[in-house]
Amino acid sequence: MLEFDQVHKTYATPQGPIRVLKDVTLRLAPGQSLALMGESGSGKSTLLHLAAGLDLPDQGTITLAGEGLAALAEPARAKLRREQLGLVFQQFHLVPSLTVIDNLRLQARLARRDDTAWTAHLLERLGLHGLEKRYPEQLSGGQQQRLAIGRALAPRPALLLADEPTGNLDETTASHVLELLLSLVHETQCALLVVTHSPQVAAPLDRCLRLSHGSLLDATP
Amino acid sequence: MTTVLTTLLSHYRRHPGQLVMLLLGLWVASALWSGIQAINATARDSYARADALFATELDQLERRDGATLSRDEYHALRQAGLPVSPLLEGNVVTQDGTRLTLIGIDPLTLPSENALGQAGTSSSLTAFLTPPWQTRVAPDALTALGLERGNAPGATPTLAEGGKLPPLTLSPALPPNTLIMDIAAAARLLASGEAITRLVAAPGALTTAPPDYTLTRATSLASPGQLTESFHLNLTALGLLALVVGLFIVQAALGLALEQRLGMLRTLRVLGVSGRTLVAALSLELLLLGVIGGLTGIASGVWLARWLLPDVAATLGSLYGADVGQTLSLPWQYWMGGLAVSLGGLLLAGSGVLWRAARLNVLSLGQMQAWRSGFRRQLTLMSIAGGLAAAIGLGLTLWLAQQPPGDGLLAGFGVVAALLLASALWLPPLMALTLKGLTHLARRRPLTQWALADMQLQLPRLSLAMMALLVALATNLGVGSMVGGFRVTFLDWLDQRLVAPLYINAPADQYDAIDTWLADRPEVSERLLTRRSETTLLAIDTPDESRSLSLAIDLYGITPGESLTPHWPLLNTLDDRPSAWAAFDNGAVFVNEQLATAENLSPGDRLTLRAPNGNETLTITAVYPDYGNPSGQVLMASHQLAARFEAPPSSMGLVLHENANVEALRNALTTRFGLSNDAISDQREIKRIATEIFERTFTITRALNVLTLAVASLALLASLLAQARSRRQQLAPLWALGVPRAQLARLNLAQLGGAALATGLLAIPLGIAITWGLVAVINVAAFGWRLPLHLFPGEMAVTLATAVGVALLAAALPALRFWRASPRALLAEETHQ
Ligand SMILES: Nc1ncnc2c1ncn2[C@@H]1O[C@H](COP(=O)(O)OP(=O)(O)O)[C@@H](O)[C@H]1O
Ligand SMILES: [Mg+2]
Repeated sequence: MLEFDQVHKTYATPQGPIRVLKDVTLRLAPGQSLALMGESGSGKSTLLHLAAGLDLPDQGTITLAGEGLAALAEPARAKLRREQLGLVFQQFHLVPSLTVIDNLRLQARLARRDDTAWTAHLLERLGLHGLEKRYPEQLSGGQQQRLAIGRALAPRPALLLADEPTGNLDETTASHVLELLLSLVHETQCALLVVTHSPQVAAPLDRCLRLSHGSLLDATP
Repeated sequence: MTTVLTTLLSHYRRHPGQLVMLLLGLWVASALWSGIQAINATARDSYARADALFATELDQLERRDGATLSRDEYHALRQAGLPVSPLLEGNVVTQDGTRLTLIGIDPLTLPSENALGQAGTSSSLTAFLTPPWQTRVAPDALTALGLERGNAPGATPTLAEGGKLPPLTLSPALPPNTLIMDIAAAARLLASGEAITRLVAAPGALTTAPPDYTLTRATSLASPGQLTESFHLNLTALGLLALVVGLFIVQAALGLALEQRLGMLRTLRVLGVSGRTLVAALSLELLLLGVIGGLTGIASGVWLARWLLPDVAATLGSLYGADVGQTLSLPWQYWMGGLAVSLGGLLLAGSGVLWRAARLNVLSLGQMQAWRSGFRRQLTLMSIAGGLAAAIGLGLTLWLAQQPPGDGLLAGFGVVAALLLASALWLPPLMALTLKGLTHLARRRPLTQWALADMQLQLPRLSLAMMALLVALATNLGVGSMVGGFRVTFLDWLDQRLVAPLYINAPADQYDAIDTWLADRPEVSERLLTRRSETTLLAIDTPDESRSLSLAIDLYGITPGESLTPHWPLLNTLDDRPSAWAAFDNGAVFVNEQLATAENLSPGDRLTLRAPNGNETLTITAVYPDYGNPSGQVLMASHQLAARFEAPPSSMGLVLHENANVEALRNALTTRFGLSNDAISDQREIKRIATEIFERTFTITRALNVLTLAVASLALLASLLAQARSRRQQLAPLWALGVPRAQLARLNLAQLGGAALATGLLAIPLGIAITWGLVAVINVAAFGWRLPLHLFPGEMAVTLATAVGVALLAAALPALRFWRASPRALLAEETHQ
């Protein structure tokens, strides 16, 4: 599903280059789930951005759904993202001018995979039933993140990338949202790569990796 | 694509204010621009039709002594073998009071290539020549006759005085407000007997004028199109200004709409919309807005033009003697052109936004900081561009200084435009610098410091509206002072020239008798006879050069009486005023400013003029102002004009002793000489009419001026209101920190009021500079006369107050909502930041 092969990434800053990823190799099979852990600033988000084709590595190859990302032009990468990936961020990045239901269907529409029955089911499962006509700012933080998860899963992606999806939520809400995320992922049978700080999150997943000083270590308990 | 577009547009559903502002800017820009273009197109169409008629395509023959021609004289000339054709001109008044020009022609002798000579088939020629005759009329004169286009052909409308027009036929090529018929039918309607107004001939058909006649060549008659060019250029410049101000608004609104959608753009990119698709969707959005705004703008522009056209027509008629139709006549190019300008302008205003949207990195998209850091570079660019504009303006000014006065209309506009552009571009850097300095100074007063720092943060969003405001304020002040100054000058000038309380306008051959009779009336202290004629200026001798030319000019004779000479306005004289007048009495001439400017004449130069008995060479001893006259004029003493040029009398002013019974004298004159009612007019009436013409002349300038300022104020209001929400988010934390709401509201008012005041204060010197450009450069080039620079502090204060008022209003509305919002709502807004 997703392959990193000897990937290097360096950021140029006024204070000199920062080597964020050094020789990272990683393999994620379809339907597999993986937790990525590591200290703040260790390069987890960078890795995720690279996986999503939002950025390109300096060295090494990344393959997503059988396609080498570096060889693809930007529109093709966008298409891949639209059709194969679901993305969830710490900040929810909902579109403030669209209603709940329109936000939920946004990516599915873009990917031309709008499935009314599936969206209705998602709405039910996310506990957002009855709130369709509201705007994102009229929801609580937990509701907003659930909506973001729903939006990512609406087109039934092959891979869900989540970057600290519960980082902005309080503990109880966080565990509810996470439970929901995992059960929906299970239901859709998509692969999952989730960045997290919490060992509880990592525990039920197939594998756990730790990023430290730019290198990946296996940390599966 | 549809999903992307609807998602982008959903922003406006939640921020309708921004949509309104965008459409408003587009609407205003294209309405004012297309309105002015509609006026220009209509005027051009009228000129083309007038050109196609007689005035500029036929040589004209008139009697040298100004007396009316008779049919016998025409026959005599025809018998002598001269290919002349008679023309009878007069006015008829329709039942709704409109005055129409009636021209009687003889189609058989009229040169055949003329628009009127083409009478068509022989049957229509017969219908034209024989009772009940035919009236040819352009469709736009039908309203005045109370007819619709459908029922017009064959109709015989009745005129105000009871006469009936011969059956109408429509002839769209004719000038507006003109009726053409056979000369016999015209003579009957006008009850003009045997009289003929003028004789015309094909260009070049006569080699010389017969004795006792003056021949005016077609080529020496300026066409109305040429004369009015500068007027239309003025209008176009105002239209362009409105367009620019409108586009400023559009650009501000687009920038704001994009800035607030950065998060959305990033989300869309992350969800798999390619950058290209995004730019295409944004362009589509622009196109959609452009078509809506452009079409509504053009529709309103046509409406605006319809509203202003009567005043424009009156202006062109009184300033240039050009007849312009009262109905809009718009070719298809006009509509396409209007839409193209709106879309082009929108693209120009939106190109920056598109460019920035295309270049933004997915990962840093939505980061306000990245967006803002561009502003510092933008300020540098603005300073450089402003410097460039200033350099161009300076260069043009230096170039203009080398040119003879009266040249460089376009360069004049260039200077004004460069000045406006430079000031507008320098405004944001200047404000940024000032704010930075003030922030530093206020470091001991935390709240003031916060207010100033906050202004710096607001500057990127505010600067475009401020620039638009500066341009609009300065133009408003500049044009306002110009019009006001003209008014003061013009009224003074009228007062100085109209010294006699009574003016007589009698048939030319009655003046001798009137003069003799008045000589014995005790209440009359002075009789100021004027004469008029026309001639050709053949040569100019200055100390540096002699050149020959052939220029049609007017001759005007006045009586340099005791009550006239001390007041008659003079711009410069050879020696002093008394010696200039003494020389004048002895045959020296004065020239009007228009002629002096056009031919670069000054006192001391000598003019050679064609005269009946050999040429006359006369010395110029003074130049006088002659506002509102489109043509060059040579002034000389009445008796000299009679002796040298056989000029007929044209009017007589009567200066009366104190306590003279004006009414009795008026009645006595009227009955003694059988004068018509309007033959004697008093000074007040003449002034009233002149002032009325003047007011109409500037109606359109004033209207456009006020509209531009209104638009700029709206722009400021809209862009301030558009960020009201984010303002509250800025204020809420301060309030949470314990600053009273009243104080926050006051701070807010002070911030925006101060910014508007600073802009307004900058606009004042800029406005004065623009006034100078208008009166000293553009006016001289356009009309041939220069105006003294007048400033009106009262008007300036009002304009300044408007600017500050708008800003305070814009600040007050959000402040009020802030004031009334519940604490919970405020904090909620803060957390949703
Ligand atoms: N666009 C960028 N330019 C320069 N440095 C960056 C950029 N993005 C991230 N970094 C740096 O790269 C390192 C890794 O960042 P990130 O991947 O966000 O870490 P994490 O998500 O693990 O906290 C950090 O030191 C960060 O400062
Ligand atoms: Mg991170």
